Amino acid sequence: MMQLNIPDRDYLNSGHVGCPGCGATIAMKLALRVLGEKTVVVIPACCWSIIAGNYPQSALKVPILHTAFATTAAAASGVRAALDMKGDTETTVVGWAGDGGTFDIGFQALSGAVERQEDFIYVCYDNEAYMNTGVQRSSSTPYGTRTTTTPGTEWKKTRKKNIVEALAAHRISYTATASIAFPDDMMRKFKKAMEMKGGPRFIHVFASCPTGWGVASELSIKIARLAVQTNMFPLYEVEDGVKYTLNYKGNRSIDEYLKMQSRFKHLTEEDIQTIQEMVNEDWQLLLRKIGP
Amino acid sequence: MTTAQASSDHISLLISRSKISTEINKTGSWCFVRPGYQDRTAPCSAACPVGEDIGRIEMLAVQGLFKKALETILQENPFPAVCGRVCFHPCEGACNRGEFDEPISINKLERFLGDIAFLDGFGPSILNLPNNGKKIAIVGAGPAGLAAAYFLTRLGYVCDVFEAADAPGGLLRWGIPSYRLPSDILENEIQRIQNLGVRIHCGEKLSEDFLIEAKERYQAVFLGCGHGRSTGMNIAGEQMAVDGLKFLYRIRNGEKLPMQGTIAVIGGGNSAIDIARSLIRLGAKPIIVYRRRKQDMPAFEHEIKMALEEGVQIQELLSPVRIDQDGSDYILSLQEMKVGEQDADGRARVVPKDSKTQSLRVNQVFSAIGAEPDEVWKVPPEKIPEILTLSHCTITQQDLPIVFGGDLTNSNKSVTDAVASGKQAAMALDTLFQKGWENINDRLSECRVGNSPALSMEIYMGGDRKNRSRHIVAYNEVNIDYFQPCNRVVSLSVPLQKSICSFDEIDHTLSTTGAMSEAQRCFNCGICNGCDNCRLFCPEVAVTLEDNKRQINFDYCKGCGICVVECPRSAMVIEEKKV
Amino acid sequence: MKKVIEGSHAVSEAVRLARVKVLSAYPITPQTHIVESLSEYCADGSMDARFMCVESEHSAMASVIGAASGGVRTFTASSSHGLALMHELLHWASGARLPIVMAEVNRALGPGWNLWMDQTDSLAQRDTGWIQLYCEDGQEVLDTTIQAYRLAEMVNLPVMVVLDAFFLSHTYEPVNVPDQEQVDRFLPSYVPRIQLDTANPCALNQMAPPPVYMEMRHSTQMAMEQVPRLFKQVEDEFFSIFGRAYGPVETVLCEDAEIVMILTGTAASTCRQVISDLRSKGEKVGLLKLKMFRPFPTELIRKILEPIQKVAVVDRNFSFGASGIFAQEIRAALCNYPEHPPVFGYITGLGGRDVTPEILEDIYWRTRNNATPKAESQWVGLDQEIVES
Repeated sequence: MMQLNIPDRDYLNSGHVGCPGCGATIAMKLALRVLGEKTVVVIPACCWSIIAGNYPQSALKVPILHTAFATTAAAASGVRAALDMKGDTETTVVGWAGDGGTFDIGFQALSGAVERQEDFIYVCYDNEAYMNTGVQRSSSTPYGTRTTTTPGTEWKKTRKKNIVEALAAHRISYTATASIAFPDDMMRKFKKAMEMKGGPRFIHVFASCPTGWGVASELSIKIARLAVQTNMFPLYEVEDGVKYTLNYKGNRSIDEYLKMQSRFKHLTEEDIQTIQEMVNEDWQLLLRKIGP
Repeated sequence: MTTAQASSDHISLLISRSKISTEINKTGSWCFVRPGYQDRTAPCSAACPVGEDIGRIEMLAVQGLFKKALETILQENPFPAVCGRVCFHPCEGACNRGEFDEPISINKLERFLGDIAFLDGFGPSILNLPNNGKKIAIVGAGPAGLAAAYFLTRLGYVCDVFEAADAPGGLLRWGIPSYRLPSDILENEIQRIQNLGVRIHCGEKLSEDFLIEAKERYQAVFLGCGHGRSTGMNIAGEQMAVDGLKFLYRIRNGEKLPMQGTIAVIGGGNSAIDIARSLIRLGAKPIIVYRRRKQDMPAFEHEIKMALEEGVQIQELLSPVRIDQDGSDYILSLQEMKVGEQDADGRARVVPKDSKTQSLRVNQVFSAIGAEPDEVWKVPPEKIPEILTLSHCTITQQDLPIVFGGDLTNSNKSVTDAVASGKQAAMALDTLFQKGWENINDRLSECRVGNSPALSMEIYMGGDRKNRSRHIVAYNEVNIDYFQPCNRVVSLSVPLQKSICSFDEIDHTLSTTGAMSEAQRCFNCGICNGCDNCRLFCPEVAVTLEDNKRQINFDYCKGCGICVVECPRSAMVIEEKKV
Repeated sequence: MKKVIEGSHAVSEAVRLARVKVLSAYPITPQTHIVESLSEYCADGSMDARFMCVESEHSAMASVIGAASGGVRTFTASSSHGLALMHELLHWASGARLPIVMAEVNRALGPGWNLWMDQTDSLAQRDTGWIQLYCEDGQEVLDTTIQAYRLAEMVNLPVMVVLDAFFLSHTYEPVNVPDQEQVDRFLPSYVPRIQLDTANPCALNQMAPPPVYMEMRHSTQMAMEQVPRLFKQVEDEFFSIFGRAYGPVETVLCEDAEIVMILTGTAASTCRQVISDLRSKGEKVGLLKLKMFRPFPTELIRKILEPIQKVAVVDRNFSFGASGIFAQEIRAALCNYPEHPPVFGYITGLGGRDVTPEILEDIYWRTRNNATPKAESQWVGLDQEIVES
């Protein structure tokens, strides 16, 4: 942190109603440490619309615009336009949505906004299901997951959507993955994104959910770290949609990650092998993009 | 302002807009477990005979706070530059990092800090000593006696140290060759002890009568005069063997002793190794003859390794039976031995192998099979009513409290154990005067480092270290995700061909950058180094930092436990909330 | 300055004169001419504004919500399916109490696809908390759009300026386009009561639990209730500068009328001629042109209709399973009067079909010749052959 030259100040208030060990809360805390007070956060329906506080409270020391579920990127575009027209180009506008609000219902608005080259940072804090509504599957839910809408033997049999590749395909200036378990890397990326004004920047933050994943709250960071260490969630950056940089090479096997979480407890060794193969395949695909 | 605008102020505008912080919600009520800061004991410290606070020392070194790091060593040991050279460093064997890649070079770091004290001219680090008016006589200015004087002085006693030789240091000065411990290093550290006010009287060989005289002038006596006489071999022709300890003394005394030919050195201790390596430097070809196996040698492993590298031969399982002269040569008759059952202390017993003997023709024979007290009054008496046997000393109280320490009582005859003896003696005597004979054991027990016999003077004197948990951090309690594999630092040394031609010191002291990067490898097991993970990750912003001190704000802590798990060094604990 | 322009361009001229800062829209026929001309104004520099070409009407409304929350004057335009897609955000805009102005071109909803005039799209949004103002001609569109900003910013409620597809949006008429200086006098620069401000950070629109939600909605209604009074104030000021006023409702020959026909939009113009013709034949008929639909000017309407014998409401819209929407609202406004005239509801001109003088005369005579309505709604002008096919 010292080398990133980030002031030691938090813009998250105590007393919010996030679950104990909430990864999404840690994500916000880390992000705002970098972004600072000149930030407007646009939040759609998601866990954070609860965490941020009921009327008349706010959990953040920066302005928040709560907006409808599908509209993060559109509303953020509008805020940006207003600030620009008022001559305020300093303030960073941040869209802050969950995986449902990004991969699913908000995807159209996001795609539209980044194609228009809207000048904002869009953050998807990904807890891999609709957690706020009680753990229903989203298109970010990984293969093998049991949720309340993929119950019993009907656990999710389709892959997680690769949102970073989808965004990189828009050829935006900056797309990156980040993890709350790698705060230095995450904050570096936020700083980089913050300084790349003039267009959309997308950061996909892996934010563990002890409640929804069936992990003890104290292991929230550990599980997020394992996701990176197993290459389940690789840390990398894509500039202009073409220049790939890998930030971490994992080498642990996926069963260590899966077996810590009750959402995967039904998986057989064979299923775990299938997932390992998927992870390997995705990893190889990524390495090819990274290049030599 | 137009009328229309003015009227808009009266239009009801109750919207969902925040006015206050969520801080009014005391979410601390959610929690049923409470995390807390609890510094714990590092395994290295528990393994160190003097219980140095190694995890903290390395933490300070990383921060470049060398003076503070040095002062932390000096809390427990007045000889960092000496021990940084000659200690057998059991700390490194216990180091958790050893399980990860390689142990921290604790010994080299201690030497670095010990040396930098003189290079940087760090002034007296312990000031404003108390004076309780009591005087202690200390017999022998070796590491045990000097350590006893050092610690007693810090506790407020006036100490007179009586040394038979004409300079202080004991074994450090006369027994350890200068390629391992240059004399200026030793003198600097002795000077620092003298600077505290310790009076050293050299050339004063005391007799048993002193114990009677002392009653008038002193409140107690510490006997740390070591083993002054080589142990005899009880074999025919023994008188033809050179006394190894005297030989080392003569070398340190500056005598020129050119040697040549093959020389047998009988023994397996550190002295045997020192003698053999000195002989190499003087031009001879030494052969160490030892009655057990190489792995049974009491000499420190790294010393044996160095000796072998330098060209010393070791012949094992050979027990000398007689020495005969043959012209200018000597014939050493040796009984071949074999490994039998284990003896009481776990070492393999060796027994003669049939009646097989062999002979070894050499130019000289040196004996180095051990040492013993030169006078009987230096041996702790038995069967007296008031006698207390501790790990590193024995106290008797007849007319005058007398502490027998150092090599007189230590089972492990190392410099660091000698320092531990002096420290234990100081604490025991002080407790005797403050709280009485019957409280010595309990009081000392309170000052133990972890579960080891090592004692901490910092704890005894009521320093911060007394708050540390006795729990010794195990490897699996370290969060190794926060550490990257990294080889330990290697110090530069004089090339072998050159080093075996002189008594100059072989190893160089680490560079500042080398030392800092090595200290950086330290897990700092159980010791908060202010890494701030707890505060960085806390989702409740419930970790406060004021005056460099972190605290949990239980108004908001939900007890998630992330801070405890993500503490890289196991310096936090979680416990159930008391209702 | 008089210009011959389309109804769509009357909107655009007004938006330019209102010095709107952020515009956002998604194209849909028949709204396109509005946004095309505004794009040109932004491109040629005659308007200092940001025009956002978003990917849907949902995002169009969301982005103006974002911009209005940022504290600037905003505009969007839509129609039909586009408006329906915005529905969620219409609630959001009013709940957030943002003074957004939208031009809504009345067009039928599919299926089957239909691009033409029909009021069901805007009337289906009646419960979203927007002020709705229906316009009759190009001049009214221009004037109402400028007034809409004044009104919206006074009460912190969004305003929908409604105009008929093609009959108004694509029809060229002479329109008096006022000077910028005059408009600036009427509409000073925007001083927001709500805005995101990093110097004074607060959250907007967050969770409002049961103990406060009702009070917030009550507050919106309190503001709505001030609208008729404030609209008059706005119009008076507008009149003092521009010499034109319209009123929430306009009455034509109602004072001595036995039957009053109620219409909105361009059909009101047709009705003016029909009434004139009927009067010349000795029929005591009047016209009530309804401009303000939300808030519904109940008091005003009661007062006008109280002495009338019969009311004929012409709806170019329909609420399935019920009746024409304007008729419903008129009935609701009158029902608490002990002696109120019967309300005859007529459905006509859906999906772009002409509302001809003949149809309106037919409606008059049906009302004249029946003591009470035969049904809640009578469909006028149906082609029986198609109905029965």
